[in-house]
Amino acid sequence: MGDKIRLEGVTYSYDQNPVLENLSMHLQPSLFYGVVGPNGAGKSTLLKLLDSFLRPQKGEIFLNGRPLSSFSVQDLAKEIAMVPQHSHYFPFTVEEMVLLGRTPFYTRLGKPSDNDLAIAQEAMRVTDIEHLAHRVVSDLSGGERQRVTLARAFAQRTGVLLLDEPTTHLDLEHQINTCRLLKAKSEEGVTCIAVLHDLNLVANFCDHVFVLDRGRLVKQGTPGDVFTPKLIEDVFHVAVPKLSHPLTGRPVITP
Amino acid sequence: MRHRHVGSIIILVLAVVVVATALGSVRIPLGDVLGILASRIPGLKVLVQETWSVSREVIVLQVRLPRVLLALVVGGGLSVSGVLFQGSLRNPLADPYIIGVSSGASLGAAAGLLFFIPQGLVGFGALPLFAFVGAMLATFTVSRLGQHRGRLEPTSLILAGVAVSAVLTALVSLLMVLRIQNLQDVYIWLMGSLSGRGWKHLAVATPYVVAGAILALWMAKDLNVYLLGEEAAHSLGIDVERLQRRVLVVGSLVAAACVSVSGVIGFVGLMVPHALRLIVGAEHRRLIFHSMWVGALFLLVADTLARTVLTPTEFPVGIITAIVGGPFFIYLMKRGTGYHG
Repeated sequence: MGDKIRLEGVTYSYDQNPVLENLSMHLQPSLFYGVVGPNGAGKSTLLKLLDSFLRPQKGEIFLNGRPLSSFSVQDLAKEIAMVPQHSHYFPFTVEEMVLLGRTPFYTRLGKPSDNDLAIAQEAMRVTDIEHLAHRVVSDLSGGERQRVTLARAFAQRTGVLLLDEPTTHLDLEHQINTCRLLKAKSEEGVTCIAVLHDLNLVANFCDHVFVLDRGRLVKQGTPGDVFTPKLIEDVFHVAVPKLSHPLTGRPVITP
Repeated sequence: MRHRHVGSIIILVLAVVVVATALGSVRIPLGDVLGILASRIPGLKVLVQETWSVSREVIVLQVRLPRVLLALVVGGGLSVSGVLFQGSLRNPLADPYIIGVSSGASLGAAAGLLFFIPQGLVGFGALPLFAFVGAMLATFTVSRLGQHRGRLEPTSLILAGVAVSAVLTALVSLLMVLRIQNLQDVYIWLMGSLSGRGWKHLAVATPYVVAGAILALWMAKDLNVYLLGEEAAHSLGIDVERLQRRVLVVGSLVAAACVSVSGVIGFVGLMVPHALRLIVGAEHRRLIFHSMWVGALFLLVADTLARTVLTPTEFPVGIITAIVGGPFFIYLMKRGTGYHG
């Protein structure tokens, strides 16, 4: 009951090499999920499956109780937004770029409505790029571009947000701001699922963590339950002491 | 698109058409050109007096006007096709010929010129058909080879295009070595020319180009989103594979129709979209609309030069587009193309 997304025995292989094996997960609304694991664990593949960009060879993914494969691409775009790891940039203004997030909502020959414009404006405001609205995206810094992509995904106003390493090119301030934004989005009811490499960001901001290793879900739970020195050693092959944040009590992961 | 803008483009095109029709080995006064054209437009006929000679009317209506209009159609078609391929392959080097249209058409045309037409099996008028069939066979082969795990893959597609084109071009050379009669016809065809083209050719190419331009504008919104990358486009509701297939079909049909009536005219489809991208930006509705008209005007001006500079001799327009296009291309290369990933 009440699952926003449910995975049942999902398996995905690439040329007979299983990337994800027999994965079952339940994701609720209003939670910020972190997906962690070493390189090649299948994290990006998981997001692509959730977005239906890839189709599982075995098992099924359900969105609001309905098989993902039964949604058309356009209908899915109204339910799930994706911030991919790599984006292409070209001479569009920031505003035009953010408005692309509204494309699933107007027709092929139509124009964005006032409502679409207002939603784009709001997305630019919360991501702090309003002042860049008329600048050309290809002239912006990496961090500014990342926030444009985030604003575009916000402008889709979906119940599910998927993010593949959204903080990678950001400085400390913007890393933390991005995580706060995602936290705030989840508190508004959105299911946020982010692949993150910085375990401390996950420990600080995520409600629930999935740990993937070689295509399998090896552990899940709150950051406090999951990030034990033993798990870090088993999965990431790094020995760490048991530390916790003096103010929040959340785990701190450092050698 | 601002409407005033569209109006001025139409006026500019009409003006260039009239001037280009007046120029040539026999110069015809602008007034006569306007009169002859107006006399053929229902409703305007009453306004003009027929003061010109019959020979002038024949030159304008049977020789120059169809060629002038064909230059517009081919220039516009090649440019729209170039926008489509550059957009869908996300590669700045893509041109209408990238997936083998030109080499396929060349082989088809060479086969026609060397084997069928001299034997009297078919008339010279069937040449566009040979070229068109060759272009479509090559495109089909390349798009089959360019699939990777059942998906069209831009890099595979481009590499397959290069490989297939190399083979087909070699076959054209082989045919030319084996059969030396009609060689000049083949050469002229390979260089691209609008010489001697009439209403028949216009009737062949126009439907494809007009339909292609309309479909291109219809796909413009999807192409804008597709610029973001396949994953992002998918998450924004674009069926990426379907879009790629559609663009491939529309772009190749338009290019094949152009090539079949004019031969291989290079650089128009490559550089017009590039130049316009620098001026009007990457938004596809604007880009397609402007590329089409600028490409049309560019080829018309180039063709008018091709038939007037050395009167009474004329040379293939492909030579002019390449002479202008080559340096422009180097300039773009040095300047950077605005296409950084």
